[in-house]
Amino acid sequence: MMSRDRELHVDVDDFALEKPVRLLKTLMYYPLALLLLAVTAQASVLTLKSPRFVVSDSTGNQLRAEPTASPVKLGARESLKITFQVVDKEDEKGVQPHQTFIRFYDESTGEEGIQPVRVTPGGKAKFDLNLSKPPLYLPPTSDKPLKVSLIIGTPNYDPISAQLFDLVLPWSQPAPVHPDEAVFHPRPELQHTFRPEQKVPNKFISLVFSGIAIAPWFVLLGLWSQVAPRATGLFSPSILPFIASLGAFEVLLFTYWVKLRLGDVLLYGGILGVVTVFTGRRALSSIAAKRTQ
Amino acid sequence: MAPTKAPAAPSSQNPVVLLWKAYNQQTPDRLKFIDAFLFFLMLSGIIQFAYCVLVTNYPYNAFLAGFASTVGQFVLAASLRSQVNPQNKDEFKEVSPERAFADFALGSIVLHFFVYNFLG
Repeated sequence: MMSRDRELHVDVDDFALEKPVRLLKTLMYYPLALLLLAVTAQASVLTLKSPRFVVSDSTGNQLRAEPTASPVKLGARESLKITFQVVDKEDEKGVQPHQTFIRFYDESTGEEGIQPVRVTPGGKAKFDLNLSKPPLYLPPTSDKPLKVSLIIGTPNYDPISAQLFDLVLPWSQPAPVHPDEAVFHPRPELQHTFRPEQKVPNKFISLVFSGIAIAPWFVLLGLWSQVAPRATGLFSPSILPFIASLGAFEVLLFTYWVKLRLGDVLLYGGILGVVTVFTGRRALSSIAAKRTQ
Repeated sequence: MAPTKAPAAPSSQNPVVLLWKAYNQQTPDRLKFIDAFLFFLMLSGIIQFAYCVLVTNYPYNAFLAGFASTVGQFVLAASLRSQVNPQNKDEFKEVSPERAFADFALGSIVLHFFVYNFLG
């Protein structure tokens, strides 16, 4: 405390201030110093007087007494009794804390169970764990020991959180799994299966079938050579432009397949279409005139 | 126009052979021209389909484009033939043969455009 007061004074002396302002600053820090003094003066320590624990079986015979560090094993019909008195360390007077808990903690699963302990106004506490009627606050147990600790909290005293001993209880049902538990952990990785790549068939078969597919052209040419009608008017000046524009359309479409893009082909196709309309009308009307003659 | 001959005297031959003979004698050359084209298209379509079924349909879009081209062209050519046939003149009063050919040409060009698009 005295060092703290000295620090405060050093702060003020660092500044070359006028005397009344310096006095005012000292007075400002004074209540803070008083408060700190009060807190450290009243911090007291609690302690336990005559702690005793007893394990007894169903008929009341004592099996174990006196606290020990090694794990305490409790059978299915036995009971554990813990008694102690909470006193102030300095004047040995009984204190009734605001909060007194016994905590059972399973380190492997992280489950815990907490039970408040009744403490009389004189500080005497009694805790009873009867396994023939297992209480609900016990966490799920396995063969791993539970760490039993005592937690005491009350104003004006330092809190206590003291490990007492390890407790081994009989197996219980495991903790129920929440239906949404799987959502909070990473899911198993999805393995997508893709359709296997399609492969090109055997080259020889491809060649054979290419030949077979081209064969109808020869059939067509052969048939046409037998029944070709006379193409007298094909190259007359009224009909030839129409044939030429039809041929140009086919060339345009082939070029589109090879290198053009859609916009280009539509543009050229539009222009060529206009041309074809005019040549077509001329050609077909001349043929119609010749037919009706 | 090609002349049509009188049918030959019926005999006890196979009806298919009779049909073939009648067809050969009575159909004008122009229609036979179109018929040859139709026969070619049918052959081509059957062969493409058989390849797809037997071997692979690997470039599926190519098969569809080729097959659709034969089928579509067949439909267009068949409609042209029926509209141009002089014996059907009463059926198609408002469609002259020239109009039919113009329709055929336009339809073919549009069909080719879509087939080339799909060919890939």
